[in-house]
Amino acid sequence: MTLRSGLTNPLTLAAIAILALLAVGETLSPGFARGDQIVRLLTVAAILGIVAAGQNLVILGGREGIDLSVGPMISLGAVIAGNIMAGANAAILPAILAATAVTFLIGIVNGLGVTLVRIPPLVMTLGMTAIVQGGLVVYSQGIPSGNAAPALMAFINRPLVLGLPGILFVWAIIAVGLTFLLRRTAFGYAVYAIGANERAAMLVGLPVNRIRCLLYGLSGFFAGLTGVCVIGYTGNSFISVGDQYVLSSIIAVVIGGTSLAGGAGGYIGTVLGAVALVLLQSVLTTLQLENYGRQIIFGMTLLVLMLLYGRQGRLRV
Amino acid sequence: MTPGEAATAAGGQDAALLDAQGVGKRFGAVVALSDGRLRVEAGEIHALLGANGCGKSTLCKVIAGTVAPDSGTIAVGGDVVQFRNPRDAEQAGIALFYQELSLIPQLSVAANIGLGREPRTGLGFVDRRRLNSEAEALIALFAGVAGAELKPEAIVADLTPDLRQIVEILKVLARRPRLIILDEATAALDGRQSARLFEILRARKAEGVSTLMISHRLDEVFAVSDRITVMRGGATVAQLVTAGTNRDQVVRHMVGDARIHPVTSQRMPPALAEPRLTAQGVRNARVHDVSLSLRPGEIVGLGGLQGQGQSALLQGLFGALPFTAGRVTIAGETVALTRTADAIRRGLAYVSGDRGRDAALTGRSIFENLVAALLVREKRRLVRPSELDPLATRHADSLNTQYAGLDAPIGTLSGGNQQKIFIARWLATGPRVLLLDDPTKGIDLAAKGDLLAIMRKLADEGASILIYSSEDAELIEWCDRVLVFNSGRIVTELAGPTLDHFHLARAAYGEAA
Ligand SMILES: Nc1ncnc2c1ncn2[C@@H]1O[C@H](COP(=O)(O)OP(=O)(O)OP(=O)(O)O)[C@@H](O)[C@H]1O
Ligand SMILES: [Mg+2]
Repeated sequence: MTLRSGLTNPLTLAAIAILALLAVGETLSPGFARGDQIVRLLTVAAILGIVAAGQNLVILGGREGIDLSVGPMISLGAVIAGNIMAGANAAILPAILAATAVTFLIGIVNGLGVTLVRIPPLVMTLGMTAIVQGGLVVYSQGIPSGNAAPALMAFINRPLVLGLPGILFVWAIIAVGLTFLLRRTAFGYAVYAIGANERAAMLVGLPVNRIRCLLYGLSGFFAGLTGVCVIGYTGNSFISVGDQYVLSSIIAVVIGGTSLAGGAGGYIGTVLGAVALVLLQSVLTTLQLENYGRQIIFGMTLLVLMLLYGRQGRLRV
Repeated sequence: MTPGEAATAAGGQDAALLDAQGVGKRFGAVVALSDGRLRVEAGEIHALLGANGCGKSTLCKVIAGTVAPDSGTIAVGGDVVQFRNPRDAEQAGIALFYQELSLIPQLSVAANIGLGREPRTGLGFVDRRRLNSEAEALIALFAGVAGAELKPEAIVADLTPDLRQIVEILKVLARRPRLIILDEATAALDGRQSARLFEILRARKAEGVSTLMISHRLDEVFAVSDRITVMRGGATVAQLVTAGTNRDQVVRHMVGDARIHPVTSQRMPPALAEPRLTAQGVRNARVHDVSLSLRPGEIVGLGGLQGQGQSALLQGLFGALPFTAGRVTIAGETVALTRTADAIRRGLAYVSGDRGRDAALTGRSIFENLVAALLVREKRRLVRPSELDPLATRHADSLNTQYAGLDAPIGTLSGGNQQKIFIARWLATGPRVLLLDDPTKGIDLAAKGDLLAIMRKLADEGASILIYSSEDAELIEWCDRVLVFNSGRIVTELAGPTLDHFHLARAAYGEAA
């Protein structure tokens, strides 16, 4: 790898961004890069990273793949999980299963809309956003009841092994599993193939529609899982708790070098992207920037990244 | 006096329209060009020849301002120029037909032809009426030889490969260049369409416009070019006058010391076995009531003009464009071909000549591109690259593909070498029925020889091969018999003594009228 290709490699860029943000944070507020602070940041990054995993898959699959409905699906997952757990440790597993099953099915509906009815993903998932949001209000009557079980909260907020909370291990398992799936299984090869050229993928015998449906289903699944994590992190939920994750999950994927055009990228980049984004958020908080200021910076980050990566446009196949 | 003429006067010698000297270009570790030299005079048709990957396209892209050279000089009309982008080159009167096409599939034919130089209305909006009428006038150049679908409003993505290629040609002509560069512009065109293109180029030549054409079809090179430049391994090795040379000499310059497979025309006639594949009265959008039968060991050609249903038949048999009526049997068993995966698992393989649309997994590695069909055929769940590498390498090498490594992105290969990978993709599946849809598009003479040798070996081992080619010579030399298509139907079958250029042409046009 030459120096130049190294500098334009998204993974390297994301890693450099992480170090730079740590340095900036430490300068602005000494103690920013302390061990326990970093664990705290990684926990927040893990929650973002899990929803970004689904977003990543959908984007990799191409044909303008994107899932805007992860926000309400996270909220729904959190509300369902809270209702079922109602503070009882024994109900954690059923809560996780129920939350992810429901959001998985919603994701499949997204996938069917995108493949069979050929609704553009942006429109389909935006429509789904409205439907799920509305459904959530009806289901919870506006104020979700229920709360997280203590064991779940401990798993996410307290050190488990080596001073790290359990959620970081879950994230690590997801990262390894997803990377294995993408790089070492025929399914992973198929995801890249349909993202790179859908017609060519069809001609080599891949069930393009089935795979794409499944990707949206998985995005739903990861959003539901994120919902469980969110309620475990804060203890209880509200019906728009997931909204902030829509834009940030997309940015995390893009920082990580996954092309919005599909067919190129991977989850390791997204992991770095999630960490970089959470760090940025934290530095901005240190600067006592108001929420709208942060939004502006986030939006600008996305656009600048698109500009940077878009310039490496390919003329050849 | 133009700047060019001024330079001529000052230099005191004839300045060529284009003079490129010592052009070098590296991509990472790959040396694409080491010493590209090319001199094109005003008002000539000049052919640029060489094996796949020898640097022809790269040299053209340097000349057209798409690729920045590492070294060398380019002079236009005697002035040394440095193009920073294609627009600069266009302003100097140079326009390039891109081998991999530069069309925007979602846009209309007219929008593509006028791209970047659209006529405006008084208010600054695109003047659609004029855009369309300009496109209409250009399309008229190919009247009678291009399908009726070629209209200004047609969306490029919906066009067949030959028509897309014609649109790219028109896009170049619309810029009214002094130097037209055609990088394999005839690769998907049939005989009539190519002939029309050459008529147009000759007319331009009479007006002083020059053409630089790249082609792997030596017949057309000798028929239309005035001079020939041959490249090998990134360098120019010969500059010849067409009238003073011959095929053998040119080929020797192209391949150097390497040997080309001698293609023998003798072959064992296929055994009289039960048919492997039959179709009875099949129909789809472009196929109307076709019946055929293919025995093991047979190589059967599909002839006729471009777009008469040959490709649709092949795609139908492969399950990509399912038949709406009729019956297909494979090894005596009636099958419903609605999904490509089923066809693949029954041993069918489909090689498309339209690699950009049908084959290239853009941005993915050569390895991924090569094993894509194999994974489906063998129903693999896990992929162990170390296990598949030797197999991938073997199939890529069987066509003498030039590549740096299996992990390099497919786009780093030259056009012909990409096509070899897409053929290898299907050879790797061990096909029993090989459906070839203009498979030699862009591959060089040596690779055609290799492909023919492989096809014969597969046939001798009992595979059945159905091939469409836009080049009649391939059908005549390669096939045991040829089914000639017209308007979605088989109109004649040619074999033995009647399988020659004359009968093919007569069947294709004569009986069409
Ligand atoms: N973008 C690129 N990155 C890396 N290597 C490249 C790139 N473009 C071309 N090459 C390499 O440069 C060499 C010359 O390629 P080029 O496309 O000019 O060949 P060509 O003569 O046009 O061949 P063909 O007849 O197959 O079209 C090839 O070895 C190719 O792999
Ligand atoms: Mg080329």
